[in-house]
Amino acid sequence: MAVTENEALAAINADYEQRYGFRDAENYLYKAPKGLNREIVEKISEFKSEPQWMRDFRLKALDHFLSRPQPTWGSPLLAEVDYDDIHYFVRASEKPGRSWDDVPEDVKNTFDRLGIPEAERKFLAGVGAQYESEVVYHQVREDLEKQGVIFLDMDSGLREHEDIVREHFATVIPPNDNKLAALNSAVWSGGSFVYVPEGVHVEMPLQAYFRINTENMGQFERTLIIAAPGSYVHYVEGCTAPTYSSSSLHSAVVELIAEPGARIRYTTVQNWSTNVFNLVTKRAVAQEDATVEWVDCNLGSRLTMKYPSVYLLGERAHGEILSIAFAGKGQHQDAGGKIIHAAPNTTSNIFAKSISKDGGRGSYRGLLEIAKGAHGARSKVVCDALLLDEHSRSDTYPTIRIGEDDVNVGHEATVSKVGEDQLFYLMAHGIPEDEASKLIVNGFIEPITKELPMEYAVEMNRLIELQMEGSIG
Amino acid sequence: MPQIIDVCPVEELPPGESRLVEWEDLEIGVFNCGGSLYAIEDRCSHDDGPLAEGEFDQENCTVECPRHGSLFDLKTGTPKTLPAYVPVDTFAVIIEDETIKLEVE
Repeated sequence: MAVTENEALAAINADYEQRYGFRDAENYLYKAPKGLNREIVEKISEFKSEPQWMRDFRLKALDHFLSRPQPTWGSPLLAEVDYDDIHYFVRASEKPGRSWDDVPEDVKNTFDRLGIPEAERKFLAGVGAQYESEVVYHQVREDLEKQGVIFLDMDSGLREHEDIVREHFATVIPPNDNKLAALNSAVWSGGSFVYVPEGVHVEMPLQAYFRINTENMGQFERTLIIAAPGSYVHYVEGCTAPTYSSSSLHSAVVELIAEPGARIRYTTVQNWSTNVFNLVTKRAVAQEDATVEWVDCNLGSRLTMKYPSVYLLGERAHGEILSIAFAGKGQHQDAGGKIIHAAPNTTSNIFAKSISKDGGRGSYRGLLEIAKGAHGARSKVVCDALLLDEHSRSDTYPTIRIGEDDVNVGHEATVSKVGEDQLFYLMAHGIPEDEASKLIVNGFIEPITKELPMEYAVEMNRLIELQMEGSIG
Repeated sequence: MPQIIDVCPVEELPPGESRLVEWEDLEIGVFNCGGSLYAIEDRCSHDDGPLAEGEFDQENCTVECPRHGSLFDLKTGTPKTLPAYVPVDTFAVIIEDETIKLEVE
């Protein structure tokens, strides 16, 4: 008899160790001792030769972080985060290389194994590769540079474009927004700085790849993307880490600013190892006639708490959030999104899908807010959950606040199980059980995967294929 | 109908200082930015927390909400950073007979 879909799906990320879980020897230029204090923050700032205002910004954020309690909402797993057991800064190379030949050999080998240089050659307009705390490689196509597109690691962005950075940095997510944003603001390192000039369309995606190698590591990249009026950019990020028995922490802050008529699409394929706590703040501003789209795929990590948000501040702005989460054994994916309609005739969609299996927990947590005065706003929220066995769990925490009468808001939520009857129906039509399970899961996530760039859609589909492989024999 | 209320004698609110006044069910923060006086409602438009307890930057004439960090322009009441996006109310400040007064309604 064929195995159950439960056993079949247990194979999601089953080859993680082989594909992503390898680790390199630690040949670091500097590794901070565990724990966080003023001295560590000052050291980071000193290493980067930062202006005084950024050093002051970090120290003030540290005070915020230390004075705020750990959040008690979201997930009980949060209590496992031990801030004293983390290395807050690890430097692997002197400065980001513009050629892969400039990258230290073992680090270059890592990115070769992950296929980054190959992807760059084939389909990307620019690549940033972050290893531990800092970006080790950064390159953008020459023709884009000539059009004035800036794509740098954030440290270089601050050095080379201090005025633009100072004007926009932390205006979307201030340090005191929440405890984790305060932590990032104190110890941020790496991440991307993107500026797309007025009217420029970056047709191929810019990509950043984040890699943690060392045990008990904290990675705190900071990304700021500014799309000037009428411009377009698609930014894609991916991430992996070796699996260790102790925890690592990834806490990024990502700020997007879409100026009038601009469009930003931000795609994440999060595949951290299952010992990583992934606590991220992502927020965007969409001005008049601008569009911001978050495509957020969460496959890995022990716990993810991440709710990308869009503030629709200008008339006719549009926000879109597509969220997909797989929660396997020992994992909690607390994902979702927030849209705030703060101007008239703004529109938005949130589509969230979660799949829970092997006792994993998938949560949708979302906010839809329509402010007073945002008349003519239209929004649709759809959140669906698929449970693959009796031990798994799904929760939905939707919040809707409407301060205006003349609006159109729809909300749909479903929770379904891959039941014997669905399998039986398909099998009765001659489809084998493993194929039937695959069809059901594929059909469930298809609205999201079709929005991914092809290479990532292929990767997502490969994961689905893998889960089916386990069902043979 | 607008009313005029007293805040304090001018010499009691030097540059860089702020003061909280109550009128009916309103609380109003009055700030001296390098000699210019401004008044805003003491309630963050993000989650209703008190604003005047936050960090006052007289050089840039802003106050930072102590709860989630939104920075408000004291001259206009407009938030310069998220998460707040709605301006807070501002009040006209009058100096009469060496006394700081507010026009409230």
